[in-house]
Amino acid sequence: MATASLALSEATEVLRPASEDEAVEAYGDGTDILVIGGGTIVVPDLTYRRVQPKRALLLKDAGLAGVSRDGSRVTIGAATTIAELVDLPAPIGPCAANIGDREIRGAGTVGGNLCAGEGYEAPRGDLQGALLAVGATVRSAGAGGITEEPLEDYLEQRRSRLALSVSYDEPVAGAFAALDRPHTHDYTALAVSGARAADGTIRLAATGAGWWGQRLPSAEGGDAEAALRDVEPHDDALASAWYRKKVLPVLVRRVLDELKGAA
Amino acid sequence: MNLTVNGATHEIESGLLTPLLDVLREELGITGPKAGCHQGGCGACTVIVDGEPRRSCLMPVAHADGAEITTVEGLGAPEDLSPIQQAFVHHYAAQCGFCTSGMMLAAQAFIDRGGTDDKEAIQDALAGHVCRCTGYSKIVEAVAAAARGDEFDLSETAVGKYTTMTTGGAE
Amino acid sequence: MKVVGARIPRYDGVAHVTGRTTYVDDVRIPGTLWVKALRSPHHNAGITKLDTSAAEAMPGVHAVVTWEDVPLLEYGHLSALGIPADEPLLAKDEVRYKGQPIALVAADTEELAAEAVDRIDIGFEERPALLDVRKAFDADAPEIHVEGNWYKHFENEMDRRQIRRGDIAKAWEQADTIVQGVYRPAAIEHAPIETQVCQVVPEPSGRLTIYSCTQALYFSLGVVAAHLQVPLNKLKVVGGTTGGGFGGKVDTATETMCCLLAMKSGKPVKWRWTREEEFLCSSTRAPWHMEIADAVTKDGWILGRKMLTLHDAGAYSRFSPYGLTKHSFHHTGAYTIPNLEFDGYVVYTNRVPTTAMRGFGVTSVSFAVETHMSRIADLLELDPIEIRLKNANRIGDTSPNGIVYTDPSTVATIQTIAEAIGHELPADYRTMTSEPRTGEWLPEHLVAQTANPEDH
Repeated sequence: MATASLALSEATEVLRPASEDEAVEAYGDGTDILVIGGGTIVVPDLTYRRVQPKRALLLKDAGLAGVSRDGSRVTIGAATTIAELVDLPAPIGPCAANIGDREIRGAGTVGGNLCAGEGYEAPRGDLQGALLAVGATVRSAGAGGITEEPLEDYLEQRRSRLALSVSYDEPVAGAFAALDRPHTHDYTALAVSGARAADGTIRLAATGAGWWGQRLPSAEGGDAEAALRDVEPHDDALASAWYRKKVLPVLVRRVLDELKGAA
Repeated sequence: MNLTVNGATHEIESGLLTPLLDVLREELGITGPKAGCHQGGCGACTVIVDGEPRRSCLMPVAHADGAEITTVEGLGAPEDLSPIQQAFVHHYAAQCGFCTSGMMLAAQAFIDRGGTDDKEAIQDALAGHVCRCTGYSKIVEAVAAAARGDEFDLSETAVGKYTTMTTGGAE
Repeated sequence: MKVVGARIPRYDGVAHVTGRTTYVDDVRIPGTLWVKALRSPHHNAGITKLDTSAAEAMPGVHAVVTWEDVPLLEYGHLSALGIPADEPLLAKDEVRYKGQPIALVAADTEELAAEAVDRIDIGFEERPALLDVRKAFDADAPEIHVEGNWYKHFENEMDRRQIRRGDIAKAWEQADTIVQGVYRPAAIEHAPIETQVCQVVPEPSGRLTIYSCTQALYFSLGVVAAHLQVPLNKLKVVGGTTGGGFGGKVDTATETMCCLLAMKSGKPVKWRWTREEEFLCSSTRAPWHMEIADAVTKDGWILGRKMLTLHDAGAYSRFSPYGLTKHSFHHTGAYTIPNLEFDGYVVYTNRVPTTAMRGFGVTSVSFAVETHMSRIADLLELDPIEIRLKNANRIGDTSPNGIVYTDPSTVATIQTIAEAIGHELPADYRTMTSEPRTGEWLPEHLVAQTANPEDH
């Protein structure tokens, strides 16, 4: 019987933990291990031999999926598929609905999206923006054990810590605005997420304005143009830095207006 | 591990990280799903996994453990075409045919979850599928027809129905 | 008529919807080896070193081929049309485009073949590249083709496709204004959902069976036989189902090389391009640079046209001279222009060689001609449909290459379009026909042409 021609390296040890504890133990300090959520980003890297890891950690059956609520605190397991988020309120719901197509959303996970490496041809990790806007924290494993920290801090180390879950307080209002994608297989060139907390504070974040998702603190007082102070966009295959700088204030304005208009 | 495809279960030798597409095509010889890009960008590899359409080129075969997989071969055979297959034949929704398997499986999953002949809903369901030949309109028409439950007279469009050669003596 | 207007079965319709159509990659031959290519990473470079021994020594690698294995290294695919050979099947002393194939490996697995390619010892000496057709004629442009930077073998060894008709200087004198435009459509990638793929089986009889995705089976058969220097009856090409081609699967880009590997290894081989190879290394529709200047009267007659076309052939000729020739024949579009000065060049650049794509050579000029017509209408503040009807071909008018029109449908087509879009035409435009011009539709500058069509 013929085996698959694209024989991936037999040397990769495949680990399939059946619980969070097993996943954490298998991950260890993260050296030489490739984490696979849905596989939508990393499987082509394996297919095209861009990565040849010693170990691969498949999270699908480790019980890390699901959205749960404790009062107004929402927790999303890292292996939750993007499809399961599309009906959540803005900014997360519309942000998730704007990712890929049904087939990609049904496989791709929150963790995979948050931990996506820099896309040199196009930005990746749209959910970083939406989750920054709602002030999410990330519970993760790695060197030093299990920790919980603000998403912006986690993003700096996302390639060396295993995301386990994301939590945030449900905002009172949320909004999401993005450049249209020419086709579902395109990543989103620029998107802005916003949220208003119960005490009235506004948080704004963007994806596509830098190498990964980032806050736009200068615009949170209501001045959309000021967002330009927080970003250093670059050119890529989808859009130029010049274009992104032109459009960013427009998207921020839309988000701010929607947040103001919401009850 | 085992893989259940179109109702039949197979024992798999390929490594657990092998994309489902390659296990189907190379190990099992099930060549209906096509390799258009091997990176999720075209939809030619789509199969149905537990009722949901999925890119088989992006799925490590380990993720299909315990799942029911349907490929285009499982929709129907030439002598017994399913409604979606009949619709594609009748409406000329396939030209080179390379995207057809993925299109029909995404369409079948759409209809199975209650999809109607609403053009925008069909386009959304098939959004990840690329066709370079037809310009899509015939495909959308065919899916709409199947969703509506149209009946098809294939006596003119399905060659086998009236030009199949038969054995036997002269009359 | 039995076929027009009837519902005709697609002979492959049922096969397509049941997954039974057999594309090349679906063919299953036990023992088939997988092929990967060593390709140039440079736009333009000399090859200083090529040593495949380390790759050949790897267990599981059954054959490696380079230019040395090719019986006839350069064969002009359209030599029957007078286009001389200029492209080596596999690079020998130099590479002229990024992605150009240099060596091929056949191995037990795709992964092994890719690893073997990495072990080939190759050395380059980079050279300046020419990537803009407009710079090809500069005195200090790098010389990137053995014959210089543009093709020089049109009839009578002319270095351009040239059309001259009438008296262009007089047209310029008589014009009320000159309208100019520059048109530069970019390259277009065919992007069929099936990438280039080929499987070759060496038969015990000594023949080779070639499963090919070619759009042009007999044509490819001839090309392979020529490169291999074997009689046609040594090859059996199995074609029949292409997963999309659109003109991009006529280059016979994989078949000969797979034959060489099958011959050398004694085993069946398959080469399947990745989507990346398809985008970066397969031939495209050519980019074009077209400049049009029309001498026009203020009431919308086009007295004369000067046109310069630079066709970007990429690194080698392939079919480009043929495409440019067709292009030149259509440079007046659906309209009659009696005074013409056309020059078209096939220009080489260090890009992937360009090839046919639906409407090869003509879509570019149609785009330019129609856009230019609209530009003229705009500048003269004339109705864009009326100006087209006025200048439309009639019975007895001639094409740029001297064909007399016996039944042009331009007038009727444009009138039908006007009606369909609710564009009101004046009475004399509504009653216009394709009959030879008379009265108001026969201005002085067209009198001579209509009287003696064969003189043009």
